[in-house]
Amino acid sequence: MNRTITMNLSGIIFHIEEDAYDMLNKYLSTIKGYFKDSDGRDEIMSDIESRIAEMLQEKVSKTKQAVLMNDVESVIAVMGKPEDFAGESGTTENKESTAGENKTYSENKGRRRVFRDPDDKVIGGVCSGIASYFDFDPIWLRAAFAISFFVFGTGLLLYIILIIIIPKAKTTAEKLEMRGEKVDVNNIGKAVNEEFEDFKKRMKNFGDEVKSSENKERIRTAAEKFRDFVGDVFFNMLQIAGKIFAFIFIFIGIALMIGLMATIFGRGTISIFDSPMTSIHFSIYELSSAVLPNDLPIEFVVIGLILFIGIPLLSMIYGGIKYLFRIKQKNKIVKYTANILWLTGLVLLTYVGIQVGTDFSEQATTKQIISISQPIGNTLYLDMKPSAEDDLDVTYMHHRKVRFGDWTMISKDDKSFRLGYPEMNIVKSETDSFELVAIKSAQGFDKKDATYRAKNINYAITQMDSIILFNSYFDIEALDKLRAQNVKILLKVPVNKFVYLSKRMEKIIFDIDNVNDALDSDMVNRKWIMTNRGLECIDCEGLENVHKH
Amino acid sequence: MNIENTKAQMKKGVLEFCILSVLSDGEHYPSEIIEKMKEAKLIVVEGTLYPLLMRLKNDGLLSYRWEESLSGPPRKYYKLTPVGEQFLKELEITWNDLVEAVNKTINKQ
Repeated sequence: MNRTITMNLSGIIFHIEEDAYDMLNKYLSTIKGYFKDSDGRDEIMSDIESRIAEMLQEKVSKTKQAVLMNDVESVIAVMGKPEDFAGESGTTENKESTAGENKTYSENKGRRRVFRDPDDKVIGGVCSGIASYFDFDPIWLRAAFAISFFVFGTGLLLYIILIIIIPKAKTTAEKLEMRGEKVDVNNIGKAVNEEFEDFKKRMKNFGDEVKSSENKERIRTAAEKFRDFVGDVFFNMLQIAGKIFAFIFIFIGIALMIGLMATIFGRGTISIFDSPMTSIHFSIYELSSAVLPNDLPIEFVVIGLILFIGIPLLSMIYGGIKYLFRIKQKNKIVKYTANILWLTGLVLLTYVGIQVGTDFSEQATTKQIISISQPIGNTLYLDMKPSAEDDLDVTYMHHRKVRFGDWTMISKDDKSFRLGYPEMNIVKSETDSFELVAIKSAQGFDKKDATYRAKNINYAITQMDSIILFNSYFDIEALDKLRAQNVKILLKVPVNKFVYLSKRMEKIIFDIDNVNDALDSDMVNRKWIMTNRGLECIDCEGLENVHKH
Repeated sequence: MNIENTKAQMKKGVLEFCILSVLSDGEHYPSEIIEKMKEAKLIVVEGTLYPLLMRLKNDGLLSYRWEESLSGPPRKYYKLTPVGEQFLKELEITWNDLVEAVNKTINKQ
C-alpha cells in the first residue's frame, strides 16, 4: 500500500505515488535550474511539462490509475538527463551560462566525490581534484606537495598512492560530481535536517505500523522494522566513527612514514629509551654497519626496512584515504604488488639476519699476559682511570652511543668502537709475583675468524709504581664488527701479598671469591690479603656480621 | 581533444538544419519531429528538442498554433514561417556545398 498525491501537470490531473512525485519534482526543478538564465525558460518548461503529461497519460488506464515510480523513470529516460541537453542542444545562451547551470544542477545532484581533474593538472590532477573537493585553490596543495617531495620523498610516495586510488574524472557526469555539492557547514546542516525529516517519517511510519497491526504477525514485522531502523542508526554512527578512524589512520600512517624515511635517509641519530640503563644515540646506518658483515651491502637493510615497515604504513594510508573519500575501486595489481614488495622486504631482512647469524657460529678465546712491574711494597693499589673522557657513562654530543644495561658502546670516529665493561676477577697466583692476564673472546663464522677478532681486541692499563689504573673499556676495530667481543681481566695475587680496591673499581670487578663472602660493592675501599684460603679482608670490622651467610 | 566533444559539436551544427527540414513538408508537433530525428539517430533524448524549437521560434523561423488533443493536453503544432523557408533553402545550399567539399577532401587521401 502506498500513498498517492494528486498532481496537476499541464492541466491534467494525475494520481501519483509519493516517491514518484518526489522524483519527478526533483527532475523538473533540475531542468529548470539548467535554463535558469535563458529567455523563454517558462515556455520551454511548459512544453516539457505538457510532453511529460502526455507520456504519463499513456501510462495510466482505468485499471491502473496511479503513476508509479517506474513510469516516471521511463519518462525521464525518454526526455533525457539535463546534462544531455547541454551536450546536444547547447544554444549560445546555454553555453554562456554553462558553469552556472552545472552548479545548479549539481546542487540538486547531491554528494560530491573526489576525482582527479584531467582539465586542470600539473602531474596527475590530484591536487586540483582534492582542492575542488574541499573548495580551495589547488596552488596551496601543489606547493605543499612540492615541498613534501623533499621531505625524504614522503610527498612523492603519497602522491603516487593518491594517483593510484583516486579515479580520474572521465565523463561529464563525473566532472559534475567532482564539483558537486559543496562540503560545508550549510550542507552538513541540510543533510542532517534531511536525515532528521527522514527519521521523523520513518518513526511515523513505524508508529502507523504498530497502530495498524492487528495480529501477531504484523507486530513481528513492525518489530523487524524497528530492528532495521535501529540497525540503520547504528550503521550511520559506525560510519561517522569509521571516518574519524580513517582520518586518524591516515595521519598516523603519514607521520610514521615521515619518521621511517627520516630515520633511514636522513641518517639522523635516533635517540630513544634515553634512560641511564638503556639508550640509543645511533643512526640506522651506523648501527647496521656496526653489525653487518663487510661484504653485505647496507642497502639490503635499508631496502628491507623500507619495504617491511613502509608497505604496511602505505596500506594504512591507502585504506584510510579510500574509506574517507568513499572510493570503491579495487585494484588487484596494487594489492599484489604491495604483497610482493612486503615479502621482498621480509626476505631481504631474513637473508641479512641469516648472514649476520652465521657470523656468530663459533666462539674463540685468547689469553694475553699484560706485563706489569712488581710493586716495591707488598701492596698493589687498584684504581680506574679517573678522567671523564674515559667514562662510558658520560654521553658527549659528538659521540654515538648505545647502551643496554651493562653493555655500552661508544663510537668517537668511524674506525673503532669503544665497548664496556670488561669484567675483573682476582685469584691466587701460582708464582711469587703479581700477574695480569686479559682473556679476550669474540665470535665468528669459524674458529679462525673468531680468534682473529679476539686478538684484535685492544685492552690497556697504566701502571704508576704500585698503582694500576684500569680502563673501563676495550677497543675493537670498526671493520671487525660487533661479534660479542668481551674481555675478562684476571689479576693473580701471590699468597701474603696485598691488594687495595678503590671505590671506582666497583664498575669492573665481578663476583670475586673471598673468605669474607663480601659482595662486590662491599669489597671496594678496602685492603685484602691473599691467603691460602683465598682473599681475606684486613679492615672489614663488622662486615662479617652483615654479609656472612 | 575529446572525441565525444567533437562529435557533439558536429551534430549540434546540423540539428537546427534538420529540424527545419523535417518541418518543410508541413505542420508537426514536437513528438513527431522527435520520432523522425530519433530514426535518424540525430538525437537520443526528447529534452534536447524543446530549447532548440524555442530558439528557432524566437528567431522568427518557426511559428506554432495550439490544437486540442483528444488524449492529453493541447499540442503545439509548429510550421515554417516564410523567413524560415528562405533560411532553410540557404542552409540546403550550404549543406550540399559542404558535403561536396568534405567528400572531396576525404577522398583525396
